[in-house]
Amino acid sequence: MSNLIQSLFSRIRFREAGTLLGLILIGAVFAWQSETFLTAPNIINILQQSAINACIALGMTLVIISGGIDLSVGPVAALSAVLGAAMLVAGVPVPLTILGALGVGVACGFVNGALITWGGLQPFIVTLGGLSLYRALALIYTGGTPIFGLPDEFRALTNGAWMGVPNPVIAVGILALLVWVILTKTPLGEYFMAVGGNPEAARIAGVPVTLTKLAAYMISGLMAAVAAMILIGRLGAAEPTLGTLWELDAIAAAAIGGASLMGGRGSIIGTLIGAIILGTLRNGLTLMNVQAFYQLLATGIIIIVAMLIDKLTSGKQG
Amino acid sequence: MQHFLKGALAASVFALSLGMSQAQDLAPLNSDSEPDRMDWSELEAKFGPLPAPPAGTKVGGVSKTLTNEYWRSLGEGYQNVATALGIEFVYQAAQSEGDQLGQLSIAENLISQGFNALLFSPQSDANLIPAVEAATAAGIPVLNVNDAVIPSATHYVGNVQKGNGVNVANWFIANRPDGGKVAVIEGQPGVYAAGQRTAGFTETINAPGNFEVVASVPANWSREEAFNAAATILQQHPDLIGFYANNDGMALGVVEAVKAAGKQDQVAVFGTDGVSDAYAAVRAGDLTGTVDSFPVLTGEIAMEVALRLMAGQDLPRVVATPQALITKDNVETYATTDMAALRAALMAQ
Repeated sequence: MSNLIQSLFSRIRFREAGTLLGLILIGAVFAWQSETFLTAPNIINILQQSAINACIALGMTLVIISGGIDLSVGPVAALSAVLGAAMLVAGVPVPLTILGALGVGVACGFVNGALITWGGLQPFIVTLGGLSLYRALALIYTGGTPIFGLPDEFRALTNGAWMGVPNPVIAVGILALLVWVILTKTPLGEYFMAVGGNPEAARIAGVPVTLTKLAAYMISGLMAAVAAMILIGRLGAAEPTLGTLWELDAIAAAAIGGASLMGGRGSIIGTLIGAIILGTLRNGLTLMNVQAFYQLLATGIIIIVAMLIDKLTSGKQG
Repeated sequence: MQHFLKGALAASVFALSLGMSQAQDLAPLNSDSEPDRMDWSELEAKFGPLPAPPAGTKVGGVSKTLTNEYWRSLGEGYQNVATALGIEFVYQAAQSEGDQLGQLSIAENLISQGFNALLFSPQSDANLIPAVEAATAAGIPVLNVNDAVIPSATHYVGNVQKGNGVNVANWFIANRPDGGKVAVIEGQPGVYAAGQRTAGFTETINAPGNFEVVASVPANWSREEAFNAAATILQQHPDLIGFYANNDGMALGVVEAVKAAGKQDQVAVFGTDGVSDAYAAVRAGDLTGTVDSFPVLTGEIAMEVALRLMAGQDLPRVVATPQALITKDNVETYATTDMAALRAALMAQ
């Protein structure tokens, strides 16, 4: 374990250090402006509020590294949320429900991946279609109305805490560690990088390009379903409209963290910090009573500044 | 759901719920039919003048989005009372109407800042539930103000949504005694307000037996979709005598379709909400009428209810806010920005 942590820190590279520095700077400004900002409950608040976006962004980062994009994550989350909630309300045991809901996410990811690899279609268009398709299925299945009355047994999973840290934060932390291990310690991780960096070269070098891309979209679907379970546990209800614009927040987190939309580059640690930066901005600006329109402005500026720094530090490639 | 309240079932439901948390002891709220309710106009008569808030009182408001005039006006009403009584008031809203998690974050961040009461207008029935639970645990009173209804809300201030449709149906019954064909342009399917407004209109207008609702289609609050739907309906039923739209934006779309078909004199068009565009259209004679739910006044009443609750008054679970049918005959009476005059006019109604 200590070896793992050691290598985790030794792997924090220049770009990630830059993202972290950005987070610290933003935090310092808020700490100076608001005395509530640096209190323990507020820090936990930020982590809790960032957890869902971070979870989606983990899957998104793998898809982006492999040279794709997944615009359908919000509706996939909505579909697995309403199907999971329906199972819970019908009395299906909690572990079975969670497996089923995660299965829905993986299946949606498989459909996306299959159309992209075997169908030879562009990721942007396929997942744009998925964005409407999965949302429509969720709306049709529920008739547009939320499903209420999730059992307390299920809600206890997401509303509990361990040593003061909310369970969703711990769950996303563990998932991040897993994805980080996959990306940096396994052949699959090298495949993601290779397929995104130069698909032709990867194919010639014997990388299973099709399976690698499929894996990226299936993991993304899985992460969307995990986020859905966390959210419906917290809300105590599943709404077919949940997850609107999640794809954009997740892409923003990955981009702030150093992922290149051209593929071949990206970092799990960077993405996590990116998600926390977005959560911190929202939290700090609300504490300072800054109106929503200006919060949007601040988010836009941060993303563009991150990209400019990226460009300046990474030399000529872009 | 309200049927649970009556009969022998209530006892077993109560027994089952004993083990659950406090919020769940209440039956899921249906703001239109909840029996524990009162009208805003009775507040002063039943509970006396507004108690003065203690110095240093802080109240927070979270609403859907400031791109919609309705929520800006509601905030203006909150602020009016806050300014008059010298209390600190913070008003925040999400970036857009779809931003459910963003609104939840805002609400949670306000709870951590030590407010004495919170006024929530949630995006959906469920998205603010964790914030309500956290506020309740911290002993902060929470008011659900209008539109989406949080099932576990202990206090709700807002419009009787069904009444909007009933008001319009009654106009047709009084002014078109011969009856005829009418159509409804609905809001987004599954949204509580849209369903209740449509139900109120349809049930009331079907009662006399000489009206027929020939079409009732959703246009998702969109002016453009309403225009298209109305044009199609007019083609199919050239003898139509009226439209009821679930909001003003859609009603103004319908007005354009009616004009394009050259049927202004035959077809009466009604909207809901009373936005400023609708008032202008009523004055111009384009829109026959709208049901105004007076957002600024609603904001004032909600803030007053919050202050009464903080003073320990035992108010009913639902306080219904005013609404009135605005037509060319009374448009100037209700167009006033003087809230005291508006209150007097509504009290005299």
